[in-house]
Amino acid sequence: MTGYDTAGTIQNTYAAAHREFGADPNFWIRYFTPSPAADVFNDDALGESQGAWDSGGPYVGCISAPRQSRLSGSAAEGQADAQAFAAAMLVAYHAVGPIQLPSGGRLYCWLDQEYSTSLSSNYWNAWANYIANYDFAGLGIYPLYPCLYCNPNAPYPSCSTIAKAHGVNVPSAIWSSEPEPCGGVSGPSVWDPQECGKVPTRLWQFGEQDACSYSSNVDLDLGGPGFVTARYCFYVQSRP
Amino acid sequence: MRSRRREKAARSFGPGGDGFGLNRREVLAGSIGAGALVALPDLGISGLSDARRGKSGQAALRYVFLYGTPGPATSGSLVATSFPVSRTAPPPKPVPVAIKLAAAPVLSPDQAVTAVTTVDMVPDGAEITLTLLDATSAAVGQQGSLTVPGVPRDANVLVTPVFAPGSAIVSLVLAITAPAGKRLMHKADPGTGSLAPQWATTWVSHHALAYFDQRSGAIAGPFHLSGEPSLALTSAAANSSDLVMWTTREPKPDDPAEIRAQASLSRLSVFPLGSGTARLSRSAPGPWAAGEPVLTLPAGDVARLVRGRDVQVCSARTGEVTEVGIPAFGQARAKPSAVTMQARLDGTVFMTKPGVGVAVIADPAEAFRITGQIHFPLPATPFGAPWSKAVLSPAGDTCYVLGPAATGGLSAYEVGSGKMVGSYSDGRQYAGLYQLPSGSLLAVRPENPRLAFFSAGLSPLGTADTNLDVSAVF
Repeated sequence: MTGYDTAGTIQNTYAAAHREFGADPNFWIRYFTPSPAADVFNDDALGESQGAWDSGGPYVGCISAPRQSRLSGSAAEGQADAQAFAAAMLVAYHAVGPIQLPSGGRLYCWLDQEYSTSLSSNYWNAWANYIANYDFAGLGIYPLYPCLYCNPNAPYPSCSTIAKAHGVNVPSAIWSSEPEPCGGVSGPSVWDPQECGKVPTRLWQFGEQDACSYSSNVDLDLGGPGFVTARYCFYVQSRP
Repeated sequence: MRSRRREKAARSFGPGGDGFGLNRREVLAGSIGAGALVALPDLGISGLSDARRGKSGQAALRYVFLYGTPGPATSGSLVATSFPVSRTAPPPKPVPVAIKLAAAPVLSPDQAVTAVTTVDMVPDGAEITLTLLDATSAAVGQQGSLTVPGVPRDANVLVTPVFAPGSAIVSLVLAITAPAGKRLMHKADPGTGSLAPQWATTWVSHHALAYFDQRSGAIAGPFHLSGEPSLALTSAAANSSDLVMWTTREPKPDDPAEIRAQASLSRLSVFPLGSGTARLSRSAPGPWAAGEPVLTLPAGDVARLVRGRDVQVCSARTGEVTEVGIPAFGQARAKPSAVTMQARLDGTVFMTKPGVGVAVIADPAEAFRITGQIHFPLPATPFGAPWSKAVLSPAGDTCYVLGPAATGGLSAYEVGSGKMVGSYSDGRQYAGLYQLPSGSLLAVRPENPRLAFFSAGLSPLGTADTNLDVSAVF
């Protein structure tokens, strides 16, 4: 089950992706605040949701990509970034009537840790704890689950950091950025992402735009065996 | 509230004897932070021949500070390669300066001072300490602290120092996030799906300001701001008279009406330096404050680079915001890119976006008209830390960038023609690049030797080890 992630807006991206790959995505993963160098979904949640619906992949997963040096920082920085991320997802949810939480009650919230970035325990634990403890929309439910996008084999602290986490601070899933066999929406024939030891890898970015010379502004992502990524995303149930 | 000046860790640890007179007990330390800071002599200077170093033979004229997370590696050391360092002189090496920092350091506009902050929870609140490190000696130049009373021990305090060009005032923007309640929640285990009861804490943030006067050493504040609940993240810059600050009101969790009315949650406020009362405050266009590059322009207005492609200019006088696009940054990509924005002495601004392989020089006096533009192949890590992947020479005639993903190393481009004029590669991929005041370059990589120095002509000068995973250099 292959989907796209992009730092552009869905409505400006999906048509080119469809032309290039000839298929609808199963899901999108989009950037939310704080992602200071990207177009963020919460800036135009309505237009993005319309784009997701029109693309044929009406599921939107959530990732936040803070200024990367902050991930080496303190608990106060991690908590502040998580607070803004949760607020951004809430704004998107309220702004678009047909956006629904996942029916299974689990919205995976990804933190973007790039290859050359170090993740400190203080930052991660505060970030994850805020996400996990967030009473979303005052519903009395706690549907946000912290997850980590990373390069598991990078020589920087990532897997080693989350291996020290406890309780709700343990990420629910890893989204692995390596390796990159590339290919189209049918995905690689074998599930073989790099993995962290303690936390299961559920999503694999097997094709990155630059490394795979895709012309459209998307990376390609594949859910792992038995894992249906769309079930852990916002669902746009009708065209807004 | 109280404010005082103290010498918590004042000392001199400039070069001499064994290199540094600093011991473990004297390293600046907070109680709740994570980041660490080490000082490193600017090799381009300390490595010069004795004749060029001056009669004293003393080493660095300026230090650089490495910020990052301590790793398991051995303590810093330096190995000179082909640079003709005196064989009798001890090699300069990184020296620990601070650990458990509350936030990343901030470099003053004239690069003479680096500000670091620590937070300690004390019986009557949170003690905030601002330390100004002198770049020429790596010693503590000034230090001030204040206690914010009533802050509970389990609160988080985010401290952002803001230098004001043309003023001796350093503003401190405080975001205080405290627990507001606990509820018993039932959360599904992601592995088994079974519900487990546990306590969930809710948090509320508000902001406060304090001001440190470099002339007197006095610190004023804290001035608690209205607007609670707010998001802790802010963006701020200052000119010689005002602090300009973007904040975001926290959306009400159970009231979508305001959001559906598309009311802006962003707010722009202008505070006279030293004051806790805004002289103007108004709704601001998005995006929310989120760590984007912000700087003070020569005219006193404030620019912030948003979405990685547009510059918003805020009039410090009226608070009016205008937005201009940077066409070269407009190309959408699947991944975000690091972005930087730096003021230059001639009033222009140097901006980089390595994720699209572009660096530009723009003139704020002419609506950010592009006066120079460099295109280069994408480096291997255009988004990861450190965010500095392209730098401008002090004269502004050469742009140095991380080499292409395929080859690594470094490349140099002539700004006037946009043509590549030099390159160096030994196969190593560097993650960050910094221009040192000496004119030499510092490139950082993931494994020791993590630090590599190059001449302006891209000749290797030497390398150094450090136990930090370096996320920024100041």
